[in-house]
Amino acid sequence: MAGHASLPIVDVTPPLTAPPLSVGVVKLASCDGCQLALLGLGPLLLDLGTHFRIIEFGEASSDRSDGPYDLLLVEGSVSTDEQAHHLRSLRERSGLLVTIGACATSGGIQALRGWARDAVAPSVYPEPTWVDALPTVTPVADHVRVDAELRGCPIDGGQLVELLTALRVGRRPQLPDEAVCAACKRVGTVCVVVAHGEPCLGPLTRTGCGAICPAWGRGCYACFGPREDANVAGLAAGLAGRGLDDATLARRLSLFTAWSAPFRAAIDARGGPPGFPTTSADATHASGPRATDVPTPGA
Amino acid sequence: MTTGTTRTTDATPAMDPLPVTDATRWWLPRAELDRLVALLRADGRTVVGPAFEDGVVVYREIGSAAELPAGVTDEQRPGRYRARVSTDDAHTFGFAASPTSWKRWTFPPSVELGVARREGDQLRFETPTREVPPVAFLGARACDLAAIAIQDRVLLGGPVADADYRARRSGTLTIGVDCATPSGTCFCTSMGTGPEVVTGHDLALTELDDGFVVRVGTTTGRDLVDRLALSSADASQVEAARAVPDRARAAITRQVDTNGLSERLIANPEHPRWAEVAERCLACTSCTMVCPTCFCTSVSQVSDLDATSATSTREWDSCFTLGFGAVAGGNFRTRRQDRYRQWLTHKFGTWVEQFGSMGCVGCGRCVTWCPVGIDIRDELAAIAGPPPAPAIGTSLPIAAAHPGEYVVATVGSVTPETPDTWTLSLHDVDAAIRAGQPGQFMMVALPGFSAAPISISRYRPDGIDLTIRAAGPATTALTRLRPGSQLGLRGPLGRGWPVELADDRDVLIVAGGLGLPPLRPLIERVLADRGRYRTVRLVIGARTPDDLVLRPDIERWQARTDLDIGVTVDRAGSDWTGPVGVVTQLFDRTAIDPVRTIAYVCGPERMMQAASRTLAGMGMLPDRIYVSMERHMECGVGLCGHCQMGRFFVCRDGPVFSRAELGDTFDLEGI
Repeated sequence: MAGHASLPIVDVTPPLTAPPLSVGVVKLASCDGCQLALLGLGPLLLDLGTHFRIIEFGEASSDRSDGPYDLLLVEGSVSTDEQAHHLRSLRERSGLLVTIGACATSGGIQALRGWARDAVAPSVYPEPTWVDALPTVTPVADHVRVDAELRGCPIDGGQLVELLTALRVGRRPQLPDEAVCAACKRVGTVCVVVAHGEPCLGPLTRTGCGAICPAWGRGCYACFGPREDANVAGLAAGLAGRGLDDATLARRLSLFTAWSAPFRAAIDARGGPPGFPTTSADATHASGPRATDVPTPGA
Repeated sequence: MTTGTTRTTDATPAMDPLPVTDATRWWLPRAELDRLVALLRADGRTVVGPAFEDGVVVYREIGSAAELPAGVTDEQRPGRYRARVSTDDAHTFGFAASPTSWKRWTFPPSVELGVARREGDQLRFETPTREVPPVAFLGARACDLAAIAIQDRVLLGGPVADADYRARRSGTLTIGVDCATPSGTCFCTSMGTGPEVVTGHDLALTELDDGFVVRVGTTTGRDLVDRLALSSADASQVEAARAVPDRARAAITRQVDTNGLSERLIANPEHPRWAEVAERCLACTSCTMVCPTCFCTSVSQVSDLDATSATSTREWDSCFTLGFGAVAGGNFRTRRQDRYRQWLTHKFGTWVEQFGSMGCVGCGRCVTWCPVGIDIRDELAAIAGPPPAPAIGTSLPIAAAHPGEYVVATVGSVTPETPDTWTLSLHDVDAAIRAGQPGQFMMVALPGFSAAPISISRYRPDGIDLTIRAAGPATTALTRLRPGSQLGLRGPLGRGWPVELADDRDVLIVAGGLGLPPLRPLIERVLADRGRYRTVRLVIGARTPDDLVLRPDIERWQARTDLDIGVTVDRAGSDWTGPVGVVTQLFDRTAIDPVRTIAYVCGPERMMQAASRTLAGMGMLPDRIYVSMERHMECGVGLCGHCQMGRFFVCRDGPVFSRAELGDTFDLEGI
């Protein structure tokens, strides 16, 4: 809550009011789930239509537009050179560019490819040499200026509405950046680490999801990515005190936001995602996999 | 049937207005506990008590005594909690502290504060009426009752009472239970809060194998006993009950040495242990959220899609979040060790001067529920070394806050000062606001935006001026208002410049950058009654000539002969003929009489530190040097916790402080 202000959004004053803002929703490498979250707003989506002109939203309408857009919502990460080029072109046609979801903000699950591409590709594709992709999968902000980001896998519909209403008012959206723990406590969810010994990434993870997983007795797996002050080493030490080894932490981190800087560093320091085949190019992963209880992707 | 809810109409019920001293002990057979629950519910109360859910004892609404956690025991240690149903012990209250605390009902995690509406050009600020159903707490431990008493002092006992808390507390009935089963993280005996229920209860129970020995604490409790038609406890029951808290006391082995603890802790702000614990601390906020006394909050705005109304909601917040102490353009507690120190020194140190006791009741929740098991008992022992403890500052100042609610005022004119700063002249301003003091500030609101604290830069017969730098969205929106626009005002707040101390003295006023606007009412007050004072010196600094604000006033002051004025800038082009350098270079050692002078200093913190050091070096006493502090302010009345600086709430106790009051904290990093 106190961290409302840390979003890297430019100040939108005066407010973006009449005529209705033109909005585009586009995707790069992604599963479309965040677009579905937008569609999932239901009746509220119809209200949005009276204040925003949605001119491009491939998941919802076959009426398409190349812009320009007052506001462009970008889902997905950059996996190919073609996408990188397309993204730069979209940026030029957009007033505000807002990334939505773990793929766009952190790289997504597909960014795990950055640790073991050469080893994984042959297990997926019969002719891996035909695959024309960049060596790493990267978030949008690695390529173009991003005015604001909505985290999550998928995004929280309420945060999207907050972003849009904030733009209407002309203020910074209030998107909390503190730990999930604060949200658990507010809703009354008992800590799964302390009460049940569950490994949980909540202390490292930005809230905004409503603390869903711990409410169902599961540890947070950081789909909103790192919070404002993620003490990875501190959590690792705490988990070690519970008999959970480094590989447990690395495995939990090696998911949707693994490629975010603090998590990537922590995964690298633990020899890469546990169970991943290493490639000769990955000098940092020379120590090899630390755990054997994770099935090799594609095996 | 009487209702037994006479307290609901009482406006200030911090504790029951009619406590009773009654040595009689009554007997409630275990099988009849449900009659008590039923009676409370029949009176229209929501009964909240313990229940065993998903392996944890939580507090929640209870429909009948059958929902209570019979036979549940727990084991707690730093970072670990396990509870189980015991087969050989069917006690109802056989566990220690729950992760839930009663503040969830007296001070809920989320409270709507009001709605701001825009109808055409008109603004309206609406405050909800607070109708809270009465609640009965069943099974509150002595430590928890002590925590409620502490929150009563914080939220009701200060110059401004919290309206929502008052409404909720006025309907609270408490049935305490003597603690028989402390856990490994409990230390109530160190804090003097338990294990026996002594105060704060309407009824108190001591659990024995086949029932409860009942004590009456208030007339409300006696009424319940009468209506339940309880019989007296017999001598053996009374004797057995007496032994229960004694056994609990003996079971608590880890102690905290509270002797001189506040002073010992405050005296060690640079202890290396702060950095060490910060490496372990995740700043996850869990300790503050489970703490039954922590009261810090933040307000967020939710606008509707039309942008015509915005709802303000107050939520639990924590001094551990990175942004908690942030202001536009900076953050006072960036390091995790700063934030850990803030929390621990507040709990065990500055809380004492603020509210008359420590903010800890020894319930152990923060120890159990820390995911990495940090034990404050260890941290206190390591950091709070032995005396001596230097006294910092003088006595706590008298707060002079008048919170009110938002009133609407109209912008008369908007004057540019610098490329990013404007002065708004407001009309239709409430008389109470116009009667404010130099140095006081207003909370200024527009629908949908966080309210911004703005110093009053001029009092006029028909209104006030606010000089505002566009530092963030809210202040930017304020500076873009046009004549005729409305805005919301709450205040004047805080303690201003002590003008009265300047009588018959030399007056030195030092302004840096945007420090001048908060000083202008003081300057005008002094010049309006010039004969009361001896020499008046004004030193004004800015980064560049373009950053000088209130220029017409500066020129007017320069034209006066009864005033020494110097204006300096850090950097200047060839068209600047005045001095270049920091303000302290204009302090004339030969002219300033350290004994006869009183100094008022306002500007960036480093400039105020430098000016204070220079003046002290010239022989001025610290209680003659006044500065105005900037901190993150939200509530403006000392209730939300954001603006704390050592033992002070800057909004309520300041923003103006004497250098003596601030003591060592003034120069401390990350405070």
